[in-house]
Amino acid sequence: MNHRSIMAAVLLPLSLLLAAGCAPKSSSTPPPAQSGPQVGVYVNSSDVVIFWDPSDSFSNEIIAMHNLYETLLRYNPATDKFEPILAESYAHSTDAKTWTFTLRKGVKFHGSNKEMTAEDVKKSIERTMTRGKGAAFIWDAVDKIEVKDPTTVVFHLKYAAPLDLIAASSYGAFVYDVDYAESKGGETWFGQGNDAGTGPYTVESWKKGEDLVLNKFDGYRKGWAGKHFDKVVFKAVTEPATRQQVVNAGEADFVNMMPYDMLKGYENQPELAVRNAKSFENLFALINTKKITNPKVREALALAFPYDAAVNSVAQGYATQSRGIVPDGMWGHAASVPQRKTDTARAIALMAEAGAKDLKVTITYSSGDDAQRQIVELWVAELKKIGVTAEPKGMTWEAQLDLGKAKDPGQRQDIFLMYWWPDVTTPHSWHQSMFHSEKDVSFNLGYYSNPAYDAIIDDAVKLAGTDRAKAAARYAEADQLLYNDAVAIPIYDIQYARVVKKSLKGYVDNPSYPHVVFWYDVYRE
Amino acid sequence: MKRLLKNPLSLAGLVIVVILLLAALLAPVLAPFPDHALGGVNPVARFHPPDGTYWMGTDDLGRDIFSRVLYGARISVWTGVLAIGLALVLGVPLGAVAGTFGGAVDELIMRITDIFLSFPPLLLAIAIGAMLGPSLSNTMIAIALAWWPWYTRLIRGEATSVRERPFVEAARAAGVRPLVIVFRHILPNTIAPVIVQASMDFGSVVLTLASLSFLGLGAQVPTPEWGLMINTGRTYFVNAPWYVTYPGLAIFLTVLGFNLLGDGLREVLDPKGVKRSA
Repeated sequence: MNHRSIMAAVLLPLSLLLAAGCAPKSSSTPPPAQSGPQVGVYVNSSDVVIFWDPSDSFSNEIIAMHNLYETLLRYNPATDKFEPILAESYAHSTDAKTWTFTLRKGVKFHGSNKEMTAEDVKKSIERTMTRGKGAAFIWDAVDKIEVKDPTTVVFHLKYAAPLDLIAASSYGAFVYDVDYAESKGGETWFGQGNDAGTGPYTVESWKKGEDLVLNKFDGYRKGWAGKHFDKVVFKAVTEPATRQQVVNAGEADFVNMMPYDMLKGYENQPELAVRNAKSFENLFALINTKKITNPKVREALALAFPYDAAVNSVAQGYATQSRGIVPDGMWGHAASVPQRKTDTARAIALMAEAGAKDLKVTITYSSGDDAQRQIVELWVAELKKIGVTAEPKGMTWEAQLDLGKAKDPGQRQDIFLMYWWPDVTTPHSWHQSMFHSEKDVSFNLGYYSNPAYDAIIDDAVKLAGTDRAKAAARYAEADQLLYNDAVAIPIYDIQYARVVKKSLKGYVDNPSYPHVVFWYDVYRE
Repeated sequence: MKRLLKNPLSLAGLVIVVILLLAALLAPVLAPFPDHALGGVNPVARFHPPDGTYWMGTDDLGRDIFSRVLYGARISVWTGVLAIGLALVLGVPLGAVAGTFGGAVDELIMRITDIFLSFPPLLLAIAIGAMLGPSLSNTMIAIALAWWPWYTRLIRGEATSVRERPFVEAARAAGVRPLVIVFRHILPNTIAPVIVQASMDFGSVVLTLASLSFLGLGAQVPTPEWGLMINTGRTYFVNAPWYVTYPGLAIFLTVLGFNLLGDGLREVLDPKGVKRSA
């Protein structure tokens, strides 16, 4: 027996014992029978509430807030139509600078039980604009808001803009009882876990670090006839393995974002299903154009990227390789922009042409995100083949962002991995935020600055209010420029994959409202 | 040495430590897939359970865990040696100076050590590691900064008693310069307990290194550091238990080995020594 055989003899039995003892159960436990009020359980991978003030909301809390608050309209990207929510109808002038909304009657606010009027809409949006936090920038085009009568509100814009999309935004477009909230203490009162919306549910209980429980609002405009959940519980379970245990115990109706490697195990189970849905979220790498100034080197880095392994091994097929920076399915997606394929030989040739030798790059990614970490490790191995030494740095999102905005540009990362999804469902969200020239760094973390590119998207945003087709064509031009300059590596468009109880009916995923379950519309059968 | 080998626990510790050192030394020879520990990936064999090819299975990028655990031993041993070495370089001279000169110098050095000792070593290492930024070399510095005061205190106590010994008095009377006395006469006669303590600390240092890497403050991917391997593998604990178990076992055995050996050494070299509570 050689030394390897001896070690194998010792290690194998131990390994088999482990594999047998810890293997996952093949089927989930049936959920306990529920009597009394119907309670829906949503399990999230991180804290559900970051901001309580509906004007400031700009994070996970939208998964609860779209059940507490409502917007004037809701956008359905599948049909490219708007569903009237608090507005019954709307119209705009031919120059798209005046938008008139006719409001629904009989809508009541939680807490005060007061009926909503046009004055409340004006006050809500103006408070959001004045506070200037979260997604307040979506209202930048608004010059003034005029109340014509209790059910008519008119938005006068400084320049043409798609106000229907803005009013349907997932962030920053909630209508609420400003007077009531301010009389109770405003931001402080909100921060204690209170709400002043018109949605089907209202907050029953919340403490930081504990579950958020919503209870049905008896005065909801649609009433409670038919099948609905009476309560909804939002749980934050950060450890994937624990989340898996919660699912296996049948304790969750809807589990958001399980690691890809765990999903396969739920595909053929009697009680659970994996629900895939197209998303408007994509993963990409921004290349520091101020440090890696030669486009040939940037192109080489992009050609060394392991696209197939990222999609098939890491995302397990729950993603598709991106084409351009705007995800497929969004208006403004550039179907004409080519997709890169891994080409090590070409990458080596480009590095030689550029005279780049012994290049060292730092890659930052979100620690705790297994998909990002695996992609970075795969890429590091490929970069080594073209003579690039990569130093990966797993950091919290906040630390990653701080490094990206470091005052000394020399300290900043060379490559920044990040996800993006839109606030308002428009390609401008990607183009403006990540690639438009910036004086002070916000999200342009590749530090790209190209006046020709800026001119295209400045033009496109104005066209979006009046002629979306023309705007889309301009955005596609901009996307092609990004490809030519190799300033970013679009990796993949994510498919949202949730583990959902098969007994949960009526759920329809809407990528404009990422991770949101509109609980009034679903029921348990 | 005989006394050390007579004690079965110490012997077990010695065997474990020798195996660890051999694994670290011979990793390139013993590892079936050395490339998997040096940045290579093998996505076609993701989560391969342990078998004749992959004795400890593979990880989420298809890398052989056995090879990575072997190379991890190199990192743990090397980092541990450097961290303790750095702590000794900082702590021992300061302790010797404090113990030899006494007075204000002693007060100043001891109060500084008190500040450091008022924090648990792991917590202090985490704080320093977080300040310096995540990397293996910064982890080493963080561990050394958390550990040096223990050696300063230990050597200072020894030096305080040695400085009254006749050979030191003689050197002083002969006009030997104070710093020469410290390094030529005091230090060589106070170093034995420090060696014992350092050997006992090695297990704790390896554990701290693994803890910092587990928390994301130490080694970065794709380094095959044991704590980092547990961090990246914990998500898959249910589906691929081998991913975290073997690096965990490696840490457990290393700490156990050094603790058993350290206890044995203490009995042999420093029978009067009092065990320090960390």
